[in-house]
Amino acid sequence: MTLYGQAIISGVLIGGLYAMMSLGVSLSWGVLKIINLAYFSFILLAGYGSYELAATQGWDPFVTVVAVVPVAVVAGALLQLFFEKVNIGEFESLLVTFGLFIMFESVASSVWSADFRRIPSTANPYASSSLKIGGFAFATPQLSAFITAIVVGLLVKFLLDRTYFGKAVRALAQDREMARAFGVDHRRVAVLLAGLASATAAIAGVFIAMSQALFPGLAVEWFGIVFPVVILGGLGSTLGALGAGVTIGVVAAVASVTWGPSYAPLATFVILIATLLFRPEGLFTRKASV
Amino acid sequence: MTRSSRSQFPKGLILLVAFAMIAAACGSSTTDTTAGATPDTTAAAGTPDTTAASSTPDTTAAAAPSGDPIVIGSTLALTGFLAPTAAIHKVAGDLFVKQLNDNGGLLGRQVEWVVLDDESVPDTAASLYERLITEDGVDAIIGPYGTGTITAAMQVAERYGYVMPQHTGSLTYTYGYDCQFPSWPAGRNPNVTNSELLYDALESTGTPPASIAFVINQFPGTMYVAYGQPDTDEGGAVSIAEDRGYNVVLDINYPSNTTDWGPIAAQVRDADPDFLFLGALGVDGPNLIAAMDALDYQVPGMFLQWPAPGPMLGAGDSADGAMSVTAFEPHPPFTDDPGYAAIAQAFSDAATAAGLPYTAFETQASASWAAWQILVAGIEGAGSLDQAAACDYLLNNTIDTVFGPVDFDPEQNNYYGDLSYIKQIQDGDWVVVWPANGAPDGVSVQYSPEG
Repeated sequence: MTLYGQAIISGVLIGGLYAMMSLGVSLSWGVLKIINLAYFSFILLAGYGSYELAATQGWDPFVTVVAVVPVAVVAGALLQLFFEKVNIGEFESLLVTFGLFIMFESVASSVWSADFRRIPSTANPYASSSLKIGGFAFATPQLSAFITAIVVGLLVKFLLDRTYFGKAVRALAQDREMARAFGVDHRRVAVLLAGLASATAAIAGVFIAMSQALFPGLAVEWFGIVFPVVILGGLGSTLGALGAGVTIGVVAAVASVTWGPSYAPLATFVILIATLLFRPEGLFTRKASV
Repeated sequence: MTRSSRSQFPKGLILLVAFAMIAAACGSSTTDTTAGATPDTTAAAGTPDTTAASSTPDTTAAAAPSGDPIVIGSTLALTGFLAPTAAIHKVAGDLFVKQLNDNGGLLGRQVEWVVLDDESVPDTAASLYERLITEDGVDAIIGPYGTGTITAAMQVAERYGYVMPQHTGSLTYTYGYDCQFPSWPAGRNPNVTNSELLYDALESTGTPPASIAFVINQFPGTMYVAYGQPDTDEGGAVSIAEDRGYNVVLDINYPSNTTDWGPIAAQVRDADPDFLFLGALGVDGPNLIAAMDALDYQVPGMFLQWPAPGPMLGAGDSADGAMSVTAFEPHPPFTDDPGYAAIAQAFSDAATAAGLPYTAFETQASASWAAWQILVAGIEGAGSLDQAAACDYLLNNTIDTVFGPVDFDPEQNNYYGDLSYIKQIQDGDWVVVWPANGAPDGVSVQYSPEG
């Protein structure tokens, strides 16, 4: 039981990290109808930024978030402004952001080389630390990501449900032209939402830098995590992303200890395929998202 | 509502630019290494006499190369998941070619190394080698980095009869091409010899482990070392451990892209082995160590198959005593040869200039160096660029490499025996500990089941 309990805890916590990684893509795709692969690059580059500040400048890894998030917000907002200027559609966004994704990988390789970069343990005491409760361990980076995912998810949900900005976002998601007709400034709302989504990506990047090594090709490995989370959680659903992340994390962890770690991806994709077949709107949403 | 024509033009332009970006980024990159991007390494100590087991051909009074350059083609994983380690091979190859050219070139001609990006994809590597040979008409080739790409490229080399030195192919039993020459000195049967070497090292302490846990990356090479060749009784690390009386308390495999190490760490903790055999690649080691540390659990000892050595040194106190396999380390007795000491320093300088975080001239870099030595020896021995003549020369002569003199054995897929050593993290750095002839004075295996 201890083994299963610890594995489930590990799965729940890493589900929070998965949710943080997926939130930006989910919001962008669900609301703005932009499949923004550049968010994967934002996660990676934020991770590199955190690495640089922690490993070479001696910043506490948690504190690096105050530097990388504002940069990501501005970058995401500018990118969205560009998309708005050229009136980019869903398919075109996939193509353009894939090009940006490749470009950013080259940038990362040029600046930090293709080799692994890991914040050394002397600068990152959190990688190996954990909170112990009742004989179970809650690894610090993953626990922090999980708590942050809950807080951010609730904040974003509050923003979307209880503020004028949120109403505007939901209106645009439901019917862009009608929302415009009622005076919603689509461009301004989209830019602000993109900045918010980029901030979540940057936060995820900080937690990733805290828990694993970085290399330029790392971001492509997240496709197999983020897209299942986005689909299972429902496009544009913030708490759905958290629920989906936790579901995937737990399913993979239980499969790992039951049949072996090699079965974890199989279990994850069985869930994904079943969802697509029987509940394509996602496990955690009603028919309409956001 | 129709979109205005004014918004169509910039969108179309954006799409065109996007296609161009993707095509440029996904398309193969070429690098002319004769540009000398690496630091000047023409110090005399770096180019010793080849009558010793030394670095580059004896050219102490060499004339400057002249005539058309000899073009040597290859791919490397300049992008993709293999890129971190391929970067080491790029630096090593650039340095070798520069030193070769600074010392008279090859057959009196300058050498140009054309490197294309196979993006860590075997199919891409195969098509690029096809292009290098049939369209670009390169004079010779050298293998890429990584088992998958090497295996794919070898088919092309065999089809066109090109000599192919290769440094990192791990599926040794599949390499039946007569003119492929492996430089990684793990021998034809690393599944047996690697394991025996490790267990010998552990038993040399007088306090070997009673129980071993096996956690194996599903990468074909690590699976081969752990379990042996499929559909044979050869066995590997797991079965040999059982044969030698060790109690195997855990035997699990994990996907290469594992992100959640918590469940694996929990399984290891519950198995509570005296020793952990981690069939690891890249940064699997630090990831698992961190996950085990989070559980307040440390194994008394561990072995990692093919880790990225740098990140292990930054993995904290729990990584102390971790072992791996190596063929060359930049310390005595390997650097007793002043030529190789100079090469090690030159590589370190070049790797630093290239921005690599770990700059030691160790296994990967030395295997790359040896592959180049093999290629050069074959061409020089043949006295021409004739591939059949070069292949024949390599098969029938002793070749000096950074690992010592080697004789390729066609009965063993041209492998020349296991010249590996066990290295261990001691006092914050990697050092060879076994066999004793590879260890510095006073250094030996440190292991106890009590930790």
